[in-house]
Amino acid sequence: MLALDLLVNGLVFGLFYALMAVGLAMIFGVLKVVNFAHGEFYMVGAYTYVLVATRLGVPPWLALPMAAVAGAALGALVERLLMRPLYAGYGSWSIMKDEYAVVVTFGLSLLLINVVDKVVGPYPFRGPPLIETSRFALGPVMMNGQKLIAAGISIALLTGLALFIKRSLWGRQIQAVAQNRLGASLAGIDATRTTALIFAISGLLAALAGALLAPLINPSPDVGAFPAIKSYVIVVLGGMGSIWGAMVAALLLGVLESFFAVYVSYDYRDAFGLLILILVLIFRPQGLAGEKGREV
Amino acid sequence: MKRMSLLALAAAFAAAAAAAQEPIAIGISIAQSPPGSVVQGVQVKDGVEIVKDMINAKGGVLGRPIKLIYEDNQGVPEKGRAATEKLITRDKVVAVTGGHQSSVCLAEIEVAHRYEVPYVNTNCWSDDVRKKGYAEVFNPGNYNTRVSMAMAETIGAMKVKRVIAFAENTDYGIGQAKLLAEFVKTKAPGTDFKYETLDRAGKDFTPAVLALRANPPDMVVTMMLPPAAYIFMNQLYEQGVAPSAKTWFYDGAGIADYPDFWQNVKDAGKYMISFGLYHPQMPQPALGKEVAAEYTKRTKNEPNRLIFQAADSLLLIVEAIRQAKSTDPKAITKQLASMKFEGVRGAFQFSSAREPAYAYQQWVDIPYVNFQLTDVNQPVSKANLIQGPGQPLAVDKLQKPK
Repeated sequence: MLALDLLVNGLVFGLFYALMAVGLAMIFGVLKVVNFAHGEFYMVGAYTYVLVATRLGVPPWLALPMAAVAGAALGALVERLLMRPLYAGYGSWSIMKDEYAVVVTFGLSLLLINVVDKVVGPYPFRGPPLIETSRFALGPVMMNGQKLIAAGISIALLTGLALFIKRSLWGRQIQAVAQNRLGASLAGIDATRTTALIFAISGLLAALAGALLAPLINPSPDVGAFPAIKSYVIVVLGGMGSIWGAMVAALLLGVLESFFAVYVSYDYRDAFGLLILILVLIFRPQGLAGEKGREV
Repeated sequence: MKRMSLLALAAAFAAAAAAAQEPIAIGISIAQSPPGSVVQGVQVKDGVEIVKDMINAKGGVLGRPIKLIYEDNQGVPEKGRAATEKLITRDKVVAVTGGHQSSVCLAEIEVAHRYEVPYVNTNCWSDDVRKKGYAEVFNPGNYNTRVSMAMAETIGAMKVKRVIAFAENTDYGIGQAKLLAEFVKTKAPGTDFKYETLDRAGKDFTPAVLALRANPPDMVVTMMLPPAAYIFMNQLYEQGVAPSAKTWFYDGAGIADYPDFWQNVKDAGKYMISFGLYHPQMPQPALGKEVAAEYTKRTKNEPNRLIFQAADSLLLIVEAIRQAKSTDPKAITKQLASMKFEGVRGAFQFSSAREPAYAYQQWVDIPYVNFQLTDVNQPVSKANLIQGPGQPLAVDKLQKPK
């Protein structure tokens, strides 16, 4: 019975992790840099949802897409203003690319945290749930209504994303740019616009994750640190740049953490994910679904 | 020559007059940004600002206004150390106060001790702050031994058989949990007690809660601060563990009077039993009522114990300056150690006893209460007072969910 509870809880949180991490994986897949402000996309989504629903009186079901739009807009803005120099005609950037990305996204992260802290305030701010039923039994498992709905929406979004990447024209363009930016451009694909789309999708997914979890984990300005660290672990575990790998890794991490916390030690629950990160980097650096580098 | 002497004398008088008007600087080191407890930092700031305005409106102290210089320690010990260093060496404050997170206080008192500048500990509960035995450190706030003993007595009076406590992984949380475990052995000998530590930065405590669901205890105790405390409470409630018909929920961190409490916990807070350092039904001096009224006027919220603790911290320094007739830090320290003080929470004098070590320069008999919240969004003033200061616990007043 406890094992079933832990498995369900682990899978549910794994879905949330996947929603947070997939966007980060996409950005790395295309630009080969890590967005250290990814956690703040999540935080902006959470706060947009909470503020729109509580201060403007918008129904939660409407506040959710508004949070998604805010995340997408933030992602697109970050790409346009901060990340485009990485690939838009700056020859020398190829040498300093990684350093630039680290500094600028880290700085953005600090800026967003402190702006929200000063403008909205430091207090945790619980969002209204999408459904008022705070608890109900789903068979032998006790569930929270918000968690169940959030899990359902996460499954729908991740499935939709997978189909979008695989089947749609835009998705194939994303794959092409991720494989070879120059080659994709030569084939007539607007790589810059595709990159902007990726950032928008990344921001949208992270913001939605934040909005869906806002009624569960009481957002505060530094709430982004938690999804950010999980996302880095998941992206490495799944294989840098692999969306499928990130999804599988997220579910795996959620379940393993859930069991580890109870059967080994709750104190080191979050450290467990970092331990997995180290082990993966040592023994399988390409991750579950990634490839070791290829050059032609 | 005579003219030069007169000019020199006039210049000297002018300089003295200017110095006399110069504000007296007092340093306030609080968390104003994450990862520190900004909620607490804001309340400490509110409390000292009210007192500063009241004092300056009456002409200040020794004819000089007081000026508060804030530093943001972000709840991080290293930053607290740097903040205190800056306040003392660059801002030349005569005293430092405001500390509200034990791990930060422990770092800051080292700096204050090195420079021999008085440090008034506003809200750091860890006994270790007292046990250092530094002459510069004064503790008008609560301490872990006090609250742990009180909680153990409550557990004994309620005759609960099995208690599981959750403490945050900080100096405060672990310190309180260990002390509570010790006191339960003597105050509630028939009780099976164990505790676990949780990451204060954690967001999902469901696995820890799920383990309780299979075999619910008679009482769950928490020693955690927000936001982790709120998340844990919600997850405990969501899983039907506590508060419930089987399991009491007892908070030992005094979070029930935080301004954001109900907004973050809703139904999960109903039936919570709380250790408290302030309740409107406690006797309070006129000055305390004045500060309470001013706080409500400024913020539209009911005051809580952090407001009063912060107010007393600043009042202590000001009164010590007044009685010592000096702003020299050593003179202030000497005065604080010996003076009788009546503040917003009552009258007391710091203990000079070195045994037990936690009693050193501590308000030992700080009053406390226990109360139970019986409705959602219930202000503390309307909460069910189940134990007044110095009174036994009224077990028959306790309520459980049906």
